Amino acid sequence: MNLAWPLTLGALLFSIGVYGVLARRNAVLVLMSIELMLNAVNVNLVAFSTWIRETIAIGQIFALFVITIAAAEVGIGLAIVLLIFRNRETINIDEIDLLKW
Amino acid sequence: MSYYWQYGTLGALTAVGGAFVVIAFLGNRLMRPRKPRVEKATTYECGMDPVGEGWSNTHIRYYLFAFLFVIFDVESVFLFPWAVQLEKLRPQGTVLVEMIVFIGILAIGLLYAWKKKVLEWVK
Amino acid sequence: MPTTLDLHAVLPEIILSGTLLAVLVVDLFLRDERKLWNSVIAMAGVLGSFWATLTLIGDHRATFNGMFVVDSFALLFKLMFLAVAALVILISANYLDEGVRSTQGEFYFLLLSSFLGMLLMASSRDFLMLFVALELVSAPGFLVAGFKKRDARSNEAAVKFFLFGVLSTAVMLFGMSLIYGVTKSTNLVAVGQALAHPAARSEPLIVASILFIVAGFGFKVSAVPFHFWAPDTYEGSPVPVAAFLSVASKAAGFAGLLQLMFVAFPHQSNVWAPGFAIMAVATMTLGNIVALAQTNIVRLLAYSSIAQAGYMLLPFAVVGGAGPAVMRQAFAASLTYILIYSFMNLGAFAVVIVVNRKRSSNLIADYDGLMSREPGLTTAMLFFLLSLAGIPPLAGFWAKFFVFSAAINGNAAWLAAVMVLNSVIGLYYYLSIGARMVLRPAEDQSRIGVPFALAAAIILLVIIVVAVGVFPDFFNHFSPRSTLVAL
Repeated sequence: MNLAWPLTLGALLFSIGVYGVLARRNAVLVLMSIELMLNAVNVNLVAFSTWIRETIAIGQIFALFVITIAAAEVGIGLAIVLLIFRNRETINIDEIDLLKW
Repeated sequence: MSYYWQYGTLGALTAVGGAFVVIAFLGNRLMRPRKPRVEKATTYECGMDPVGEGWSNTHIRYYLFAFLFVIFDVESVFLFPWAVQLEKLRPQGTVLVEMIVFIGILAIGLLYAWKKKVLEWVK
Repeated sequence: MPTTLDLHAVLPEIILSGTLLAVLVVDLFLRDERKLWNSVIAMAGVLGSFWATLTLIGDHRATFNGMFVVDSFALLFKLMFLAVAALVILISANYLDEGVRSTQGEFYFLLLSSFLGMLLMASSRDFLMLFVALELVSAPGFLVAGFKKRDARSNEAAVKFFLFGVLSTAVMLFGMSLIYGVTKSTNLVAVGQALAHPAARSEPLIVASILFIVAGFGFKVSAVPFHFWAPDTYEGSPVPVAAFLSVASKAAGFAGLLQLMFVAFPHQSNVWAPGFAIMAVATMTLGNIVALAQTNIVRLLAYSSIAQAGYMLLPFAVVGGAGPAVMRQAFAASLTYILIYSFMNLGAFAVVIVVNRKRSSNLIADYDGLMSREPGLTTAMLFFLLSLAGIPPLAGFWAKFFVFSAAINGNAAWLAAVMVLNSVIGLYYYLSIGARMVLRPAEDQSRIGVPFALAAAIILLVIIVVAVGVFPDFFNHFSPRSTLVAL
């Protein structure tokens, strides 16, 4: 297997995720961009795991943990975003600005 | 002090990167025609133009169910590697107990959701 | 592959997990006016876990294929985390019972989950465990930051903390995945051995990965330039949560960072030490200067805790290519600073919680003339502030002293000079609060009243701050370092 391809895919996904975090103003879209970054990590981990030919597929196990924890984070994130929408009627992160120095 | 020089490469890259952005945006600004209209000035988001009211409310109860589904669905991912290895590891005894503990903790989560009346479909 | 578990090694974690599940279940069957029992159960669990940790002292155990290690480093951190957990329960019990009575059970559940993550963090010697522990520390933190559900400021605190926290995790994970690919292992010791190869010392891919990981942890310990979330989150959260976040989650971040840098990446110290130098100087300077301009006490403590993180980062900066003696001293200095900081900062927050009961605005102006209203409380606050400022003979002085001497021995006199300069700025704003409390007249002469639990916590903290200050030899006896550090 040529390791370069999956790693390029991972790097691209990660970069798209970073761009999304910086450019999007909607909290849900920011959250989705972060998920993209986490998936880039999963691509890397699984690719390396295959390339190393491990006996214990630690990379794949790592990816499983990333997936489950990402799901938990999405749950927490959406709950918080929902709460903000109820109280403020907006989820635009530029308008969430009560606290500043 | 020599290792500080290795950061010189980083500095050069930062400078080139910064220059690239400045030149690209400046060139764009100098060359493009500028005729703003209300429609043009709106932020671009992908997808279709919303017809009518943009917000059609989905009831909150869908969110709760979807959320419960996602959590339990994803946790089940840990069952598969365990099930594959079960036969091999069973002589050592505690593998079954470990999974019972794991599922027990999930069950406590379900008990919590049930007692908080999340599972009831309130009209 | 053997799968025998050393259950004694994980006993503190097992007791804490059992307790947090018990709190969640018992809470379901308690009526609102009896919810205070949750804090009693939580406290019992924390003390039980503390006892279990004490039984492990002197041991060196490894289980879960070396992912989970019990050594003096881990035990020291665990004892500290559990002590902090007990104190946080003490200082939040009244606040919660009066504020968000019906959801107290969830609060303790989340709090203990976060502390469980910290215990795991102290013991993890593997990228996977570090990641899971770090998330277990942060995820409940996001929720407790937004615990005042109807308060838009609390919501905002939660969303900022959440977005920065998750982003930093993603960045850190990307770095970890690359290191895993290069070294073919996720075990910190194995990674350290793989990276010891001369060709790996300044390989760009490895350097970039370390940068990613440091950036991720930089968010957790709120180091400049990754500190943006901290003041907003502290200000918007309920005050006990701010106390908890500023102490425990920061210490957990450092517990991970110390292991990563000194166990997994010591051979790259030439590359990361200058980065840490810049980060430490920026962190302490920005924290202290912005703190001068604050009018809200929680925000001031937030910036002060950012500045304090700068002092903790400083020892990392002196180890670039240094010998084992310097490394060992830097490691111990950073660790000592974290331990001492946790208690003195928690003390300052405990006093803020007491004053917050009377006036929820948290303005520094509320502290005018506090001496005439609550002399005991004010004296305690003075102890904590002077300790944070680093005045002898309080604990904070020795924290600064250890970091200072590590900097001098590491031939980084300029860092030591920056640190002294910053301590002077810090002294100014800590003392100005003290002066306001003692010299200014109070608008409102009524007493505040300190509930029993808070009073107990504050007295304990004063004793710790003074005792450590008078007997600093304690740290020489303990020789706090990871037995896995190849120093």
